[in-house]
Amino acid sequence: MDANQGFFTTRVDAVMNWARSNSLMPMPMGLACCAIEMMAFAGPKYDSARYGSEAMRFSPRQADLMLVAGWCSYKMAHAVRRVWDQMPDPKWCIAIGACASTGGMHRCYGVVQGIDNFLPVDVYVPGCPPRPEAISHALLDIQEKIRNDYTLANDYSIGEDAPPVPANRPKVLTGSGQQSISPEALYQQDDA
Amino acid sequence: MRDDAKNVADKTVPHREDEALKFYFTPTDPPGDTSDNPHAKASTQVADVIDALREEFGEPAIGEMRVYAGEHEVVVDRFRTIEVCRYLKEEQGFDYLSALGGVDRFVEGDRFEVVYNLLSLDDAKRIRLRVRVDEDDLTVPSISSVFRSATWHEREVYDMLGIRFDGHPDLRRMFMPEDFEYYPQRKEFPLLGVPGSLPLPPQTPEGDLTMDPFAAAHGSKPRESFDEPKSDFEQSL
Ligand code: SF4
Repeated sequence: MDANQGFFTTRVDAVMNWARSNSLMPMPMGLACCAIEMMAFAGPKYDSARYGSEAMRFSPRQADLMLVAGWCSYKMAHAVRRVWDQMPDPKWCIAIGACASTGGMHRCYGVVQGIDNFLPVDVYVPGCPPRPEAISHALLDIQEKIRNDYTLANDYSIGEDAPPVPANRPKVLTGSGQQSISPEALYQQDDA
Repeated sequence: MRDDAKNVADKTVPHREDEALKFYFTPTDPPGDTSDNPHAKASTQVADVIDALREEFGEPAIGEMRVYAGEHEVVVDRFRTIEVCRYLKEEQGFDYLSALGGVDRFVEGDRFEVVYNLLSLDDAKRIRLRVRVDEDDLTVPSISSVFRSATWHEREVYDMLGIRFDGHPDLRRMFMPEDFEYYPQRKEFPLLGVPGSLPLPPQTPEGDLTMDPFAAAHGSKPRESFDEPKSDFEQSL
């Protein structure tokens, strides 16, 4: 039997992913007004400590989640990218707000039209600014991505091929919003 | 067939009168006398100060007094700016520079304008000075020797309009990168910028700068960090 598929290894994986997803260390990259909502998200009322992410790391070397909140100018983009390059692998990125996602209303010469022009963004949060709940939801999405995505047995940070992207999580409603999916389908496991 | 479909549509969709959208144009100020501004404050009516200025400096240095929206302002010759500001500060008590800005009037002669808003904290008076400057000789004396706070304002005006300030201690760009070649607040500057003038950072740690400002829209996708090529240092390990 391949050592990579052993029972013990997969269980350790699950624990690792669980631990990783519940102790994300965000690097706050507050660039404009959205940063206020990001602070609210980390503060006591919306309390990201519930998800284990209350400890903002102001050093990129201790962080594994970058929260880009606010519009990013071309001049700042170089600093953001440099901070991102200093964060250790594995790392994730959330674009908070319309401006970080697309440039938003700042359709002008000085503002990057979406930070995905230079950063691999995992979750986009729409809104101007988004509510702190929306940022919490983005954090939950990142957690789900970590639990599904990254395993020790398939550690592509050391050169292995990345696994196929997992299917989207099941929605209770179909795309047209009419027909609900049966509860059995929600709990079906892929035999892969 | 078509008639049938039309009938069905008529039955299902409630008929509604077309309604002209209400649209209000922003009214423009009529030229000429605009002194009936209900919000104008007496603190901005400083005809006596402007008279004193004219007595001190004479006619060519101090232009006509203008009343705009009930507020008094005066055009000053650009080579006398420092003296005028010093006089206002030391003799008239205008001890606070509340703002300094630039205007691109986009006209043939004297295209640019630098506007100084001075405030007297003791007398609660405000005065606005305008200095006109032509495109051919874009220099204005810096008033940073009178008001230290002017330095950053002047850097901003220089950054946005390209007006140089003679005697400024450190005239660098304020917002745009040092090597940016254009002046973005000039009227002829395109709103979305000049492609290639502001590079984006590289897509991988050791890659080249991204010259396309809309890389994502043109299909580029930054690599995930685990997918990035190894750096020279990592390869040497
Ligand atoms: S999305 Fe709205 S709130 Fe957020 S940075 Fe842009 S303008 Fe500000």
